[in-house]
Amino acid sequence: MKNLLSSVAALTAAFFATPALSGPVLDDIIAKDKLICLVNPNSPGFSVPDSQGVFQGFNTDFCRMAAAAILGDATKADIRGIGFSDSMKTIVADGAHMASRSITATGTRDADPGLAFVATTFFDGQGFMVPKTLGVSSATELNGATVCAEDGSTTLLNIADWFGDRDIQYRVENIADKTARLEAFFSGKCDVYASDVTALLSDRLLSDTPETYTILPEVISAEPLTLVTQPDQALEAAVFWAFQVMLNADILGVTSKNVTAIVEDLESQPKAVQRLFAEDSAAAEMAGKLGLPKDWAFQVISQVGAYSEVFERHLGKETPFGIDLSETANALVGDGGQMYAYPIR
Amino acid sequence: MIPPSPPPPAEKRLHLSDIAAVGGLALVLALAVFNVLANMEAAGVSPGFGFLVREAGFDVSSSLIPYAPSDSYARVILVGLANTVFLAAVCLVLATVIGVVFGLVSVGPSPIGRALALAYVEVFRNLPKLLVLLILFVLAVNGLPHVREAISVGPFHLSNRSVNFPVVVSNQRMWFAVAAAVVGLGIGFLWRARHKLADRRSGAAETAAINLLPIALPLLAILVFQVPVTVSVPELKGFDFQGGGRLSLQFVVIAATLGIYHGAQIAEVVRGGLLAIPKGQTEAAKALGLTPWQSIRLIVLPQVIRIVIPPMNNQYVNLVKNTSIAIAVGYSDLMSVSGTIINQSFKPLEMMLITMGLYLALCLGLTTTFNRFHRRLTRRETR
Repeated sequence: MKNLLSSVAALTAAFFATPALSGPVLDDIIAKDKLICLVNPNSPGFSVPDSQGVFQGFNTDFCRMAAAAILGDATKADIRGIGFSDSMKTIVADGAHMASRSITATGTRDADPGLAFVATTFFDGQGFMVPKTLGVSSATELNGATVCAEDGSTTLLNIADWFGDRDIQYRVENIADKTARLEAFFSGKCDVYASDVTALLSDRLLSDTPETYTILPEVISAEPLTLVTQPDQALEAAVFWAFQVMLNADILGVTSKNVTAIVEDLESQPKAVQRLFAEDSAAAEMAGKLGLPKDWAFQVISQVGAYSEVFERHLGKETPFGIDLSETANALVGDGGQMYAYPIR
Repeated sequence: MIPPSPPPPAEKRLHLSDIAAVGGLALVLALAVFNVLANMEAAGVSPGFGFLVREAGFDVSSSLIPYAPSDSYARVILVGLANTVFLAAVCLVLATVIGVVFGLVSVGPSPIGRALALAYVEVFRNLPKLLVLLILFVLAVNGLPHVREAISVGPFHLSNRSVNFPVVVSNQRMWFAVAAAVVGLGIGFLWRARHKLADRRSGAAETAAINLLPIALPLLAILVFQVPVTVSVPELKGFDFQGGGRLSLQFVVIAATLGIYHGAQIAEVVRGGLLAIPKGQTEAAKALGLTPWQSIRLIVLPQVIRIVIPPMNNQYVNLVKNTSIAIAVGYSDLMSVSGTIINQSFKPLEMMLITMGLYLALCLGLTTTFNRFHRRLTRRETR
């Protein structure tokens, strides 16, 4: 009903060409001048409090992105740590505007009327890691292989499904102890190590020779970790397109460091860059319709950065996680990943 | 002299305090059960065992009975139980052999032997078994060669994955040979029983013939019924050995860990039992001209066994329960499958009850058998 009302409102707004009419939740954010965003209270790399008690991490930066786009100031994101199941309840109960805490978008969750899944910020899924010396380039070549996986996990079920469907014979080593499991894999007791791809990437670093292991292209379960908001078309659009700005910035080579220089010299920039940052740009037109600050795209990039910047800052090669963005599904489509930048025009 | 007064008859009347204690206990139990059921109902969870027939959907590292992920939860519990029983049986034999040997050495004549036995016992009864297991596992997977460079002795192969060995492939006609072996054993048993009854000694040739029957009869059956005997030899194909029999490395490591761990404790039990035998017994045996080995076998051990059965019983029950540490290194025992089922089916209460029931049945069965054995031995002693 809320949705219907807001769509009717949006339609009416378009018809009468009212300059700006946002949804009730977006209005609430603007009225309070702060955006309440829920994150995981302790998830290294994704959201952990720093020494000042301020949450830092990959997920928290999307709270800041939303605050920069809607309020023009990333620091106006009121970031709160909360447990997984409570976070969804809090949003449904109007206790927060959005959540950025690695929530997997699933059909049944999205069917819940109190939640809107807006933009997938991280593609995870269960994958396989093998030593390069095995000479295997696809999981379909693993007939007869021994697979190490965590005892009692859903990994075991996903493996059984995937290999069973393809009639591939395998042997499972369901080892509960992590040290024993990794030693078994690094010593060659197992040919394959199965886990979530992000876990594979960080576990690989525990080897003496991480470069001798490779992750196979098959990802056998889908874990699209997605931003969740209260249902509100204007808010959903604002968050979705703010994320698209970050992806477009990546394609165009715009970062938080060079964005000021680029905006000062906009005339000599490609058309696509102008559409993001110029006074009469497509982005500015969107701002008018959604009720965002006119320079919202600039604010997102200058205060938070492009998508790959955020990724590198918290999870990239320079961090303890050492994840190579180009090896994950989170690379841009052009680089072999799944991040697809929608056009802003 | 005043004759000793007879002991007072055991009181049969129940005291009020007894009734109160039993009643209180029952009340607490009833309250707990009621509370759990009420909470489950409030959470919308209905207790029940219907889930046992649902598809398990996960694989296990090894199974003694045919199993596929499409089988039911009940079946995978059976797989776990069989693995636990098999592991416990192997560990039990191993720990007993190690324990008896070190127990004998620890009271033996050699000072070096005594020192070694003491060191062994003190080290292994003072280390946590999970630590021993993890150390042995990490050493084994790193120390043994990769499957492609397996140490091979004929058709036997040892790698950091498994021990692979040839096995005879079973077929329908094999039952003829099995039946023949059973008949052979039966004849031997009856023959011995009759001789014992008649209390007469039999000739060496006769005994040898009877002892050979369980081997000779199946061989004869194989020839007569043309039972095909094919041997499956492990061969390195693709990623691993195919064919033949296989013992996983983790099984060997867990068996070794529990064998060594409980061996140390059993050695102490045996040492205690040996020290309880008066020195006069061995001296008398020596005076009668028995060799040291004969004196141990005929005089000392039969008496020691009677003393050590109750503490051994305790050791064995502990050993059965300790097999559950196998979960750490990837052996699909009862605990491992039960944990996975809880994660998948969200039936923690039911699965814990089933798991507890099965361990309880295993251990009670073992204790009862040993207690009966002990009673029989002590009865013979007092006879």
